[in-house]
Amino acid sequence: MSKSTIKVALIGNPNVGKTSVFNQLTGLNQQVGNYPGITVEKKQGASKLSDNVKAKIIDLPGTYSLNASSIDENVVIELLLNKKDEDFPDVAVVVTEVENLKRNLLLFTQIKDLEIPTILVINMADRMSLKGIEFDLPILERELKTKIALVSSRKKTGISELKSLILNYESLSTEPCLNASVIDPDYFNNLRRAFPNQLLYKLWLVITQDVNFLNLERNEIKNSFTKSHSDLKRLQQKETIKRYQFINDTLKIGQKIDASKATDLRAKLDRVLTHKVFGYLIFFGILMLIFQSIFDWSKIPMDFIDETFTSLSAYTKNHLPAGEFTNLLSEGIIPGISGIVIFIPQIAFLFLFISILEESGYMSRVVFLMDKIMRRFGLSGKSIVPLISGTACAIPAIMSARNIENWKERLITILVTPFTTCSARLPVYAILISLIIPEERVFGFLSLQGLTLMLLYLIGFGMAVLSATLLNYFLKLNCKSYFVIEMPSYKVPMFKNVALNVIEKTKAFVTGAGKIILALSIILWFLGSHGPTNNFKNADAIVLQELELSQNIASIEPELIENKISSYKLEHSYIGILGKAIEPAIRPLGYDWKIGIAVVSSFAAREVFVGTLATIYNVGNHSDEEVTIKNRMAAEINPVTGEKIFNFASGISLLLFYAFAMQCMSTIAIVKKETNSWKWPLIQFVFMSGFAYLTALIAYQILK
Amino acid sequence: MNFQQILVYITLAIAIGFLVKKFLWKKKPKKSNSCGDDCACH
Repeated sequence: MSKSTIKVALIGNPNVGKTSVFNQLTGLNQQVGNYPGITVEKKQGASKLSDNVKAKIIDLPGTYSLNASSIDENVVIELLLNKKDEDFPDVAVVVTEVENLKRNLLLFTQIKDLEIPTILVINMADRMSLKGIEFDLPILERELKTKIALVSSRKKTGISELKSLILNYESLSTEPCLNASVIDPDYFNNLRRAFPNQLLYKLWLVITQDVNFLNLERNEIKNSFTKSHSDLKRLQQKETIKRYQFINDTLKIGQKIDASKATDLRAKLDRVLTHKVFGYLIFFGILMLIFQSIFDWSKIPMDFIDETFTSLSAYTKNHLPAGEFTNLLSEGIIPGISGIVIFIPQIAFLFLFISILEESGYMSRVVFLMDKIMRRFGLSGKSIVPLISGTACAIPAIMSARNIENWKERLITILVTPFTTCSARLPVYAILISLIIPEERVFGFLSLQGLTLMLLYLIGFGMAVLSATLLNYFLKLNCKSYFVIEMPSYKVPMFKNVALNVIEKTKAFVTGAGKIILALSIILWFLGSHGPTNNFKNADAIVLQELELSQNIASIEPELIENKISSYKLEHSYIGILGKAIEPAIRPLGYDWKIGIAVVSSFAAREVFVGTLATIYNVGNHSDEEVTIKNRMAAEINPVTGEKIFNFASGISLLLFYAFAMQCMSTIAIVKKETNSWKWPLIQFVFMSGFAYLTALIAYQILK
Repeated sequence: MNFQQILVYITLAIAIGFLVKKFLWKKKPKKSNSCGDDCACH
């Protein structure tokens, strides 16, 4: 890395607006990935500081202190203690907020004591007057031996001052806030004598933390300076007390709070939103509003996308030279891409609402509200975060269960989270609901389709809770349990944060799931357009011969003949043979072999379902007319009974199958990683898929 | 085999290659930080 790039680590407690500061500094220059070897999210971005200098900014996971209690927090410590790490910062920017500065400063003093140049950001400065808070910045800077940037990421103030401080980081003092020796003078003096070249506070962290230190002689240090677990805990408590004494003394002279100016709106809102009756009603009402909006607002852009791709497919077929590759484009690739793009509006609206709820501070109230209920089912209040995040994608949701300290609660959360309705299920639900549920309104304003969608989300959530109860009963793990959650202040969501989150999540769906859908669409088209037997190769002659025998061929429409040949070919193609082979197993569920192919292919990723059907129906239909995916599905007829394939019974059966089945290879992989065993993902797969088959079977047999 | 067919087979090979790489070709995992059935992990 050249000297013109400064490496900046953005560190802070959860809910201090760290990500907002990161967004203000980097804008759209962000990359999201994982830390090597582990699946903790790593966000980094670039910020231009001057004409010649830019900053590489790493947004580290939120942590309350350097005393790690979760894997996310280990990431912070491992980076700050390893100077050979490629991301080791030139300067640490510790983000705090005006209302909780005292608590936030604990982390600041610990990082300062590692003698890394450290800048203190006091965020949410726009709330100071509202809360009656004033700071004497020169005094605070003097006592904390640092430079302070008073920032309001909401009002976009203080960011240029922060950039200027980062630019001049070399002038920052690296003098520690607390002399580590005061924790236990004898012990620390011995430590200093044994390792004269090492930083004292760093040695202390190596001894007390259970993290991987690649470049420190951890065993040597630990063997020589072993203390009992209780002695170490006692010294850690003593350290915390010393730090708070220092922070109290500093704030006594550097901060003034006029309590009479503080408004009590937060307390009033909390009383209503966490009320034992109104709290749940409001939460339920909000959920209903979200699902109504997803269906109503997405309809216009979805219809537009569907029609555009259908026209594009017809245009390609009519204007490119006839041949196999043209067929692949018009019948495989374009419908495949359409099956991805069409669901962008719904996914974007879902994430828009989730982001607003998170940004406003309401989500923490939901966690608090749900704790009492969750505990009855063997879950923690913190489990609601993975369960709600699971509406986006089970993979990050399962990873977010890492902040549940109790292993049993964490394991149960990991195992039941895939029941919540993820964004990959949304396309399947959306198309099936639009096929089998009429576009009617209940009480004149509630869309029946929206209500059905909400019901499916509730079924997924209910199944997660029910499975948790069973697991809680059968799992014999005794772990202590406690629940602590911070209630952030209520805030008007920032447009930029919400927009970036929506873009990031939608992009992840399009690029992640989209590539898989497209690749499978190509393979499925090939399998549907080629066959191994003479029946496939001589399809034209066989169909014409059959028609000649049955009726006067001259009286039959040429288009009908063409469609009969296409259907015959599809039936004798590779995919047709495979579909027919599995038909006996899926027939009792109300599915034909074409749906069977879509169900089987979506065991890799469930969002493939719609794209697969779009490809199969395109291969089987050689008409030049522009027909949308939905209309093609609606027109499918059972050749034996003459009934619609996608009727109410088969539709409900399919909806229930997709609600419960474990159809995501990536989720299986992440469960294996998080539980460090194949046992749990295998149990999960067998249970979920078996249950899905059973419910789909019962539903179809009752409703048919 | 004509030009369009060659293009189809190339596209098919890319699609299969992508899926194999995505689902079957796993990099050797680094040391795991998972805790297994250990309540006292943290």
